[in-house]
Amino acid sequence: MNNRFLINYIPGSTPIHKLNGTTKVLGFIAITVAIIATFDFRVMLAIFALCMLGVASMKPNWKPVAFMFGFLFVMNGIIGSLMVFLISPESGLTKTGMETIFWQTEGGKLYMSWELLWYAWAMFFKRVTSLSSAILFILSITPSELAAGLNSLKMPYKVCTIVSLAFRTIPDIARDFTDIKNSMQMRGVELEKASLPNKLKQYVMMLVPLLMSSFAKVENISNSMDLRSYGKCKGRTWYSEHPATKGDYIARGVIVLMFLWCAFYIIFFRNINAPAVDFWCPWVPKEISGYWF
Amino acid sequence: MERKPIIEFKDFSFKYKIQSKATLHDINLTIYEGEKVLILGPSGCGKSTLMSCINGLIPFSNEGTITGSCKVNGRETKNLSIFELSKEVGTVLQDSDAQFVGLSVGEDIAFSMENEMVPRKEMIPEVEKLAGTVGMQDFIDALPFDLSGGQKQKVALAGVISDKVNILMFDEPLAALDPKMGLATIELIDQVSKDKTKTVIIIEHRLEDVLYRPVDRIILMGEGKIIADTTPIELLNSDLLKQSGVREPLYITAMKYAGCDISKNKTICDIENLELSDDDKEKLMAFFHEETPEIKKEPGEEVIRLENVSFGYEHGKNVVKDVDIAIKKGERVAVVGKNGAGKSTMAKLITGIHRPGKGHIYIGGKDYKKFTVKEIGEQVGYVMQMPNQMIVKDIIKDEVELALRLRNISEEEITERSSNALKACGLYSMRKWPVDSISYGQKKRVTVASIMALGPDTIILDEPTAGQDYRHYTDIIKFINRLNSEYGKTIIFITHDMHLAIENTDRAIVFADGEIIADESVYSVLSNDEIIDKANLKQTSLYRLAKKMDISPEKFIEHFIRYERMVKSGE
Amino acid sequence: MLKKFLGEWNTKTIVAVAIGAALYGVLMVWGSIPVFTNTNLTSAMIVPVVVGALFGPLPAMVSLLVGNCLADLIGGWGFWFDWSVGNGVLGLFVGLLPMYGADIKNGIFKIKHAVIYVICCIVGNALAFGVVTPIMTSLFYSADLEITFLQSFAGGISNTAVLVIVGLPILFILSKRYASRTNLVEEPEELTEE
Repeated sequence: MNNRFLINYIPGSTPIHKLNGTTKVLGFIAITVAIIATFDFRVMLAIFALCMLGVASMKPNWKPVAFMFGFLFVMNGIIGSLMVFLISPESGLTKTGMETIFWQTEGGKLYMSWELLWYAWAMFFKRVTSLSSAILFILSITPSELAAGLNSLKMPYKVCTIVSLAFRTIPDIARDFTDIKNSMQMRGVELEKASLPNKLKQYVMMLVPLLMSSFAKVENISNSMDLRSYGKCKGRTWYSEHPATKGDYIARGVIVLMFLWCAFYIIFFRNINAPAVDFWCPWVPKEISGYWF
Repeated sequence: MERKPIIEFKDFSFKYKIQSKATLHDINLTIYEGEKVLILGPSGCGKSTLMSCINGLIPFSNEGTITGSCKVNGRETKNLSIFELSKEVGTVLQDSDAQFVGLSVGEDIAFSMENEMVPRKEMIPEVEKLAGTVGMQDFIDALPFDLSGGQKQKVALAGVISDKVNILMFDEPLAALDPKMGLATIELIDQVSKDKTKTVIIIEHRLEDVLYRPVDRIILMGEGKIIADTTPIELLNSDLLKQSGVREPLYITAMKYAGCDISKNKTICDIENLELSDDDKEKLMAFFHEETPEIKKEPGEEVIRLENVSFGYEHGKNVVKDVDIAIKKGERVAVVGKNGAGKSTMAKLITGIHRPGKGHIYIGGKDYKKFTVKEIGEQVGYVMQMPNQMIVKDIIKDEVELALRLRNISEEEITERSSNALKACGLYSMRKWPVDSISYGQKKRVTVASIMALGPDTIILDEPTAGQDYRHYTDIIKFINRLNSEYGKTIIFITHDMHLAIENTDRAIVFADGEIIADESVYSVLSNDEIIDKANLKQTSLYRLAKKMDISPEKFIEHFIRYERMVKSGE
Repeated sequence: MLKKFLGEWNTKTIVAVAIGAALYGVLMVWGSIPVFTNTNLTSAMIVPVVVGALFGPLPAMVSLLVGNCLADLIGGWGFWFDWSVGNGVLGLFVGLLPMYGADIKNGIFKIKHAVIYVICCIVGNALAFGVVTPIMTSLFYSADLEITFLQSFAGGISNTAVLVIVGLPILFILSKRYASRTNLVEEPEELTEE
């Protein structure tokens, strides 16, 4: 059951794994802000390279990683781009500032421009970058570090325990889910073959026992927590959160630089000196796009 | 030396807010420092409520009315918070899975320290020390999902056993453990109680297992009152156990059958050191040679056959290896073995949830390859451990009819088949009742009825009696046995419970590491040390008794079972 | 009223929210039928309804938000904040049950409540996936607004479908089952027949 999850419950041994929870969560926030801030392909490429370098340094199992990128490619790369082409082919112009049409249907209802292709590609690449940062984060952190890290960033500790407790119960609930599903199948519930409305109705039969038996656990778990002083103090300490090491300070230095860069980028390049269009495109002249850098 | 009272109940009563009657009535009880006390009684007798009053869960998380007084260490609990109490009282709850809230062993042991805001620097050595006291020092980084029930319980103990805690309570510590782990737990509790500053309270209904190590005192409860507060010897001598629905140890039953006088025997509580007088021996020998009717059943036709079956979840790692089993109609079979030995995978194979990687499975003489899970479900029914994992509808009759409606059967036939199933399970007159208004045992019947309605030849029951006291246990078992004797159903029990296996099955299939290591009568399995060890079982006290008598344990157990069945059928 | 909205954040609520989040994660990953890009007919949607019914809207929202992040972490499709935030808004709406008097713990769930529930589902989905998510998507990814609306519209429709087709029967069944539990007077064994 365990190896079906991407997130790992046992900390690894590479330099990134060894950072503490606070550093990891901070790093993820910094990268996310940077990704959200930019539509410049060159910047995204740099962030992507950084993330993948980090991922590679953790020597992951590449199979699920490749699967995630593949999934994204189908969902957003192919279907998403197709929708752009079908619904709003003019996006090429609005997003990059130019339009070089190289194919169109009669009457010009549907057409394809090089800029549209670039826009679809850049938008997809933004999602790729976003995913790569998520993978970096997921692979590096354990659920306990996540809870501790969130807490040290002023998230109320009760919310943080929700996170770690949820991770604790997921394998149990996943097991109950399959067991209940199996037993309902033996009684005649068919989840695979049925028609859509029927399928939904059959889900009800599975969900009722699953919900009842899952929420029946609440009493026991909360008793065992109450009996061990949960909620006694205003805060709590974390067994899994080791103190910051040299590596953490270096990483945090990098993170601070990143935040500064983000602030500068957002203030200067996205507001004071904002380009006329969102997307940088290599062949659109800077007079049009406003991407003078 | 004056003994120091550590827990004092005086005219204490408690009523839950949502209930109309009080759960505890006029409790007067004093427990002294360093004592090891067993609180015994059937489910619903109030023993868990009593525990909650000591550790502060009442009134902290259960509202209700308290009258009288309850003092822990001289202080009235009403005036203490659960946090103050938890510094003095450590509680190990029944559900070892639920109380494991950390994501690793170390984290779970540290849980209360985390909440007390102990700095991590102090926490680490303390966790190591505590893990050491329960023998888990090599598992500090282990995940809960990789631990056995017994190991989780050790972790739970380590999490509450800090220096200041001088009262330790164990709520049904044996409920979820296999027999061997149960022994280890009792052993561990005994070690803890050797420290004479610690008071130990065990709450259980499985008397025989607890008595594996001595206790100072037994408090027998029933219907919210204390029925007896006495020594183990006196309790075993009395008739109180029988009256209050607690099972007496098997060897005592055997000695009583034989007519031995146990009242003068000072060693009666401990089978290991039990001394038998010449008179006892004579009587037991006479009992052993008594004639008992042979248990013989005409084997019917084959209903299930596994031929050379192997199966693995991951390639190259088989969890069931080359298994051959043939089960005949009307048989009662126990499938036993450690957790993860392959017994539940085997059940999933028989029901078609998993299909064999190698080999064949025949149901009713036909290779089941072409059958869907739904079709197999009409021939082999599977009843899950907890009724709540199966029940969907709110009315009993609807629940029983559910599987039939999913098969588009005509209305008349649905009524006929569900009525028959309801009658067979003794639920017909309750058919319009809401499911959640009936007892656990009756809910179990509902789940069996919902399977029976499909008319299967074989019913597989996963731990049907887990966590049940003797009365519910007997109730469930009687009912299942009737399905076997009156309706000719083949019954397969998947179980840890050797009592259940001994008394109710003719044959045991023992799994270890995915292989069948024994497939023979229960009494020969239980007199084979090697199999007992490999399958995490334990010898029954009957085995010990037979050894003391220098007679064949296998024959003695067999005789006992026959005698027992004779007596019971005469009842 | 405010107290009903916020819920009581004692240990029981914390545990229930955590279990809700875990359930959401499990159902999202293993209990979904994909219908459109970024859109699933997912039985997970039922979780905030039940948490809301038992503990109030804010707990419902938290369990959905945490559950969503969890599903992203275990399912391996990356973090998409635009959808998580939209889901949070939706969770708040579907979890409103105690605010209009539905109390499934005590067996109170009548036709009147069902109607309000359905309205809440529709309004919640319209707001979450008609406004919040599309705006965030176009901000984060500079995606075309029209397409974003289309995608989230599909999401909203499939959520509403699950919430009504699966949610309503479950609410009725659960309220009946919890009701028969609370009405009982101690010893249920006394009710034997035969």
